[in-house]
Amino acid sequence: MSEQMEKLYAERLKRYTTAMRNEKPDMIPIRPFVAEFVATYCGYTCQEVAHDCEKAFEATRRCASDFGWDATVGNMVFVWTALTQAIGLKYWAIPGIDLPADVGFQYREPSEEQSFMKPDEYDALIADPTGFLFNVWMPRVSTEVVEPGRPSTMRNNLSFVKGGMGMMQYFQGLSRQGELLRTECGCVSAIAGILKAPFDILADKLRGYVGLSQDLFDCPDKVLAACEALMPHLTQVALATSDPHKQVPVSLWMHRGCVPFISFEQFDRLFWPTLKPIIETLWSNGLQTLFYAEGKWGAHLKTFRELPAGSIIFHVDMDDIFEVHRVLGDRFCISGGIPNFLLAYRSPKEVRAYCKKVIDEVARDGGYIMDASAIVQNDAKVENIKAMTEFTREYGVY
Amino acid sequence: MSESQQPQRLPGECFPYEEKKKEISEVLGDPQLVEKMWKDIDGLGYMYIWFCLLAF
Repeated sequence: MSEQMEKLYAERLKRYTTAMRNEKPDMIPIRPFVAEFVATYCGYTCQEVAHDCEKAFEATRRCASDFGWDATVGNMVFVWTALTQAIGLKYWAIPGIDLPADVGFQYREPSEEQSFMKPDEYDALIADPTGFLFNVWMPRVSTEVVEPGRPSTMRNNLSFVKGGMGMMQYFQGLSRQGELLRTECGCVSAIAGILKAPFDILADKLRGYVGLSQDLFDCPDKVLAACEALMPHLTQVALATSDPHKQVPVSLWMHRGCVPFISFEQFDRLFWPTLKPIIETLWSNGLQTLFYAEGKWGAHLKTFRELPAGSIIFHVDMDDIFEVHRVLGDRFCISGGIPNFLLAYRSPKEVRAYCKKVIDEVARDGGYIMDASAIVQNDAKVENIKAMTEFTREYGVY
Repeated sequence: MSESQQPQRLPGECFPYEEKKKEISEVLGDPQLVEKMWKDIDGLGYMYIWFCLLAF
């Protein structure tokens, strides 16, 4: 790596980590979570970046270089659909196969009747989560995998061989991508490690949202026990995949565990007590958590204050960023909050005006990272991402 | 260990070494090395299934 690039990387890393500690860096760090936007910018289809992860890596690096961002995610088109096809995962709609080539991949939640875990299977999940995933869940979510007790097939065996080797290839590629972002672009890999709330995992990939909603009334104690059974495993995965240097945060993708999807009572009894200890464990291991608060979590901001100061970075999606700053700004760094509709449908002038408002009111004392509200997909206009970036560079200097 | 048996699987493991050890009459060399390598590679199987659940 050239000396100049090393210096640039060091400056950006310092800027990013200073802001994440809720302190004031030299200027506001810019860390967009760009997904299919990288395809738009580089002239690829959504199919190309979803199905060929090397194209996604290359497009991300080109964006990081051209825009000069401080940090970004190595590949925010996070589902490599060639791998999910090899494993036979049914729940992804793949661009170019199930969807037009220019539509981003989509999650297909099954109907309540087709849910991947049945309502009478809580005890089996609670007793042995890993065994349940291999023996019950995987045969249901894969077109290839045969359930135990039935004759095995070549397709069954190939699912695990190709899936295992493909996953290894992907993560080696992602690791190489982190190095190339550093050496070619001077850009920091923004996150390391993955976490989801036990409640959200139960809703997303096991019972389904509709099924879980019913379970909350039929068997709330089982739901709680299942969340508790998932906790040590989700903690294990988050720790095992985190940044060994403890510089960048573990990403927590927050889905539907908030009011009004669930009640305050359900949040207080089920969602929060099975998530909070995981965050505290990560923090005790020297790791911050990026709360990627998808949707609106405004009803729970005061609850989040229970977490140790500095332990999270609160990312604003649909919430009122000014209210989030008022309630949480003294304890945690805040990121995001530039509405995606603005980036997709409005003018660069309007983008700059909104960025100014956020910088003036949220970022004045540091502890803010510029980003869109949600991950940036292929509807965002290039000139608007450019406006967000350039304005922040010009105006966001302390 | 048969498919139907349910071992106590801790976070990070699929097929606990304590179960595997029952299939080995005697380790003639370094038993700690055997245990470590079993656990390391077993852990990859664990990451595979949990990554399918969490990320893919």
